[in-house]
Amino acid sequence: MRRPPSSRFPRYSLPHLSPLALSSMALAVLTACGTVPTSNPALDNAVASLRQAHEDPTVREHAAAELQQADDALARARAAQASSDRGGEVDHLAYLARQRIYIAQEVAGRRRAEHDVTGATVERDRVRLAARTRQADQAERRADSADRQADAATRSAVESQRLARASALQTAVAGAVASAAQQQAQDAQLRADGLTQLLIELDARQTQRGMVITIGDVLFDTSRSGLKADGQRNVDRLVNLLRQHPNRRVLIEGYTDSVGSDDSNRALSDRRANTVRTALMDQGIGGERLAAHGFGERHPVASNDSADGRQLNRRVEIVLSDESGRVTPR
Amino acid sequence: MHPLPLRTALAAACLLVMLGCANPTRAPTAEIAASSAAVARADGAGASTLASMEMRNARGKLELAQRALVQGEHEQARTQALEAQADAEHALAKAEGAKARQAADALVEATRVLRLELERQGPQNSPTRN
Repeated sequence: MRRPPSSRFPRYSLPHLSPLALSSMALAVLTACGTVPTSNPALDNAVASLRQAHEDPTVREHAAAELQQADDALARARAAQASSDRGGEVDHLAYLARQRIYIAQEVAGRRRAEHDVTGATVERDRVRLAARTRQADQAERRADSADRQADAATRSAVESQRLARASALQTAVAGAVASAAQQQAQDAQLRADGLTQLLIELDARQTQRGMVITIGDVLFDTSRSGLKADGQRNVDRLVNLLRQHPNRRVLIEGYTDSVGSDDSNRALSDRRANTVRTALMDQGIGGERLAAHGFGERHPVASNDSADGRQLNRRVEIVLSDESGRVTPR
Repeated sequence: MHPLPLRTALAAACLLVMLGCANPTRAPTAEIAASSAAVARADGAGASTLASMEMRNARGKLELAQRALVQGEHEQARTQALEAQADAEHALAKAEGAKARQAADALVEATRVLRLELERQGPQNSPTRN
């Protein structure tokens, strides 16, 4: 490095120079080399940076030697400033000091990173060891479970074959069921169509109790309980219906007008209802499907004050059960 | 030393001092050589990319020093050579610091990933299902 500034002075001893001569020389030195020491920004900056570096524990710990070099460089810059060197020289030395400080900081950073690497290497090795231990354990378990899995696979293959067969069977059954259901639906539709047709022919009407077919007074022989030809035709249609719908039952109800006594009217209505029942049974309809009951003059459908009304009240009503054979009695 | 006339002594002293301050006689070839070596060393460590500004400064000042030497401006040559060397050493320290930091970060990251992987496998570690 640089020689100390003092070495630049000529090494003459001046024992005999007068005080005046000495002060003149000092003045000449000051004039030649610089000015009275003043503040130097570069130096001030370096001083502040160096203080900062000294306060940084990382720098103190990891770059002690470099920090010492920075101290030395700054001391030279300060000496130059104190000995009134040229401003340029102080700047130069301050710059060198500043670079030494940077270097100390960089070196400290590097050594800390290297220290971190050491720590991280230890940590990595620890984690690696854990990973390998785990891999070994897993391999052992896998080998162990592979046997079990092989057994399980065999069992599962057998099971899945069985399931496949069962599934095929189920599909076949489901297909059969579906086609049977379709057939039933079609049959039901056909039967419903047929029933509707028959009910229309029978002039049936929908009531709360179900479909009701009325065989009017005019279809019976007057004051007798025998059926006329038209009434017989209605009975034939009803027979037809009951043959096609073997689950359906009928409730045969006889009614009269209000003329005459209650007892005689009840008896007359009973007889007429039973006439219809017998006519149906004659054509092969089982008696268990046919209930007959006479209500006399009760439940009129029209006024008994007029002849037309009374005629409407003299009747036999046939209530048709639902598909399950249920019928709602009065 | 015999007494010289006072004026002569003063004049000689002043001249010498002024000469000493203005122009050292020794050519700073050693400083320039050291500076050049420092620049080469830093460049070899990758400082040209990792500390490009410092390296630019160092090379610029080294060039100034060499030019000053040729022109006989020894003081200027010495100053520039010393600063170029300091710049180069700073660049070297910076480059090596950056590389060390990178290595440390990479290692820490790799370890973190490894540990994460290990933790992720954790749940699967339970006894294999049947």
